[in-house]
Amino acid sequence: MATSMAAAIAASLPAPTAQAAPTPAPTEIPQSMQKVIDVEAEIPVETVQLDGMVVMKIMKHARDTGSSTATGLLLGIDLDGTLEVSNSFPLPTYGDDDEKGSSRPSGARYQANMLRLIKDVQSDDTVVGFYQSTSMGAFFAQSLVELQAVHQERLRHGGIVIVHDTNQAIRANATFRAFRLTPAYMEALKKDKFGTQSLVKHELIFSRIFAEIPVTIKNSSLLNAFMNTLTTPAPQSSLSANPSILSPPFAALDLDAPSLVTRNLESLLETMEAHKNEESNVAYALRQIAREKAKADAYVAKRKEESAVRVAQGLAPLPEEDVTRLFRIPPEPSRLEGMLLLGQIDGQAKNLDVAASANLVKMYAARAGASSA
Amino acid sequence: MAIGTSSSAIYLQPSTAATSTTQRAPAIVTVHPAALFSILDHFLRRSDSQERVIGTLLGTRTEREVEIRSAFPVLHSETDEQIALDMDYHTQMLEMHHKVAPKEVVVGWYSTGSKLDMYTALIHNYYTNQVAPHQAIHLSVTTGVQGDTPGVKTYVGSPVGAIPKPENCLFVPVPCELRYHDSERSGLDLLANAAKAPNHTVAPQQDLEVLEKSLRDVVDMLDRVLTYVRSVLAGETEGNVAVGRYLMDTLSAATPALDKGRLEQLFNSHLQDTLMMSYLGNLVRSQVEVSSRLALLT
Repeated sequence: MATSMAAAIAASLPAPTAQAAPTPAPTEIPQSMQKVIDVEAEIPVETVQLDGMVVMKIMKHARDTGSSTATGLLLGIDLDGTLEVSNSFPLPTYGDDDEKGSSRPSGARYQANMLRLIKDVQSDDTVVGFYQSTSMGAFFAQSLVELQAVHQERLRHGGIVIVHDTNQAIRANATFRAFRLTPAYMEALKKDKFGTQSLVKHELIFSRIFAEIPVTIKNSSLLNAFMNTLTTPAPQSSLSANPSILSPPFAALDLDAPSLVTRNLESLLETMEAHKNEESNVAYALRQIAREKAKADAYVAKRKEESAVRVAQGLAPLPEEDVTRLFRIPPEPSRLEGMLLLGQIDGQAKNLDVAASANLVKMYAARAGASSA
Repeated sequence: MAIGTSSSAIYLQPSTAATSTTQRAPAIVTVHPAALFSILDHFLRRSDSQERVIGTLLGTRTEREVEIRSAFPVLHSETDEQIALDMDYHTQMLEMHHKVAPKEVVVGWYSTGSKLDMYTALIHNYYTNQVAPHQAIHLSVTTGVQGDTPGVKTYVGSPVGAIPKPENCLFVPVPCELRYHDSERSGLDLLANAAKAPNHTVAPQQDLEVLEKSLRDVVDMLDRVLTYVRSVLAGETEGNVAVGRYLMDTLSAATPALDKGRLEQLFNSHLQDTLMMSYLGNLVRSQVEVSSRLALLT
């Protein structure tokens, strides 16, 4: 009885120990936090939480750079499916005078130095993504997609990109949207092909390049307290003095300046032009391919005919030849650029539409106000 | 638009004898919210032993005005006997910053807490040497954690005594304002909304939502004025002459330029333009959608 028991225990022992061995992991994470802290990167990022400071930093950088795009890195941490962005720093833009070769390493060095310095003051130093400013809602750009693709490969959770629209900010609405590339795009990218077949296979259209992640904005408690001080009226406020530093804004009620609308239309036309060019490039390339293919086919057919004739005459058939060496069939053109341009057009048109609808409301409001006065 | 409670300290121009060599003190200092918020963030991330945090202010300078546009922390340690700044850090950070924003130069330094003591004077002396021949700005942020009202004060230093010593310094207050661009206002509103929201989070809004909120605000204000005017007319409250003036100015300024027919005409032509824009936008979008789907067909 006892022996059998011991044997049973002995038999049952190794299995549990083998399982139990990895569990007492060398972590100091308290039990309560184990669920939310995800060491193995299993919890996918569902929301992005921006710190108030990051909001202002991005807006400042976007405004300072003016018409060119502002790019910077986001630092933070992910916790229980929420990516908390707690800090950011701008990346320098390299002018055209920089040689292409030297700009990359110096950018990387800048990044590494900055991270080291930021770490020194006990700030978060994990890169979680990057931000980019855009105007007129046209954020589909090759550079953005490429950078995000690199990040998605390298960072935990793939990282995110925050897009801030300066044009919207002028219209008194600060927009921050978070995106990441869809698996379909990443797969197509891995095969490094954006030919027609690949697009069809992955069902890739511009609206499926990016997946949007909801963004929320949360201030630190200290910042909240400070904001409340800024918005509460000063005690000694009289009518002549400003009641609070942040008095209610009415910029949202202004009708859009005509220049804003024309700029929007202009950029829309420009992008369309670019798209048309791209389209004709692709068509040209496709024609080229078709022509070469037809030539190759004609050649092959001709040779077959000849060898058939030779066989009929009792001669040995012509030796098989490598047709691909004779006719260089150009590679299939990438459709990515065209797709991105379509995305830009869509963004700009949407921007136009939204602006128009807001303007309609404002106009009717103005008329109602004037006629009742 | 002073930030925080107004200071009762006297505003003095530094003595004219000194101005022959040094620059005149700026009349006003403006602070960008991004700079202010990064100071607050730095304070949040201080180590337990640190009583206050300090750092460098960057910005632009004009004749009468200093605009603080960004700030970065500087490591320092402070004991009863001595104070040490990590100047290496300062130089490196400055260099990095200049790559991104070459126009922003060192204009002064910040510290949290309202303490002005010998160390403050010493640090100030250091920064004064940095920004010479201009005057360094000292920005002190009271965070409200120690029970005081949150606020920002700015000072310039001026030497004291017959023989100026670095550890002696008279901090002369300079008026200070929060300065932001109109387009950045919407971001601040977002933060203010977040501060008021129940769980302190807010999502960025759509254009129309913002518009709706603004319209509601206007309606609320009109209601408030209307109630006030009615109560004055009914004799319940005594009318304030200043309010009356404001109301008169506002109402009389608004309408005369727009007579009825002209407004209607403007409205109609603008309406057509706007509808055209909307139509165009929608048309383009549907075309784009069709085009992108067609690309998938072989």
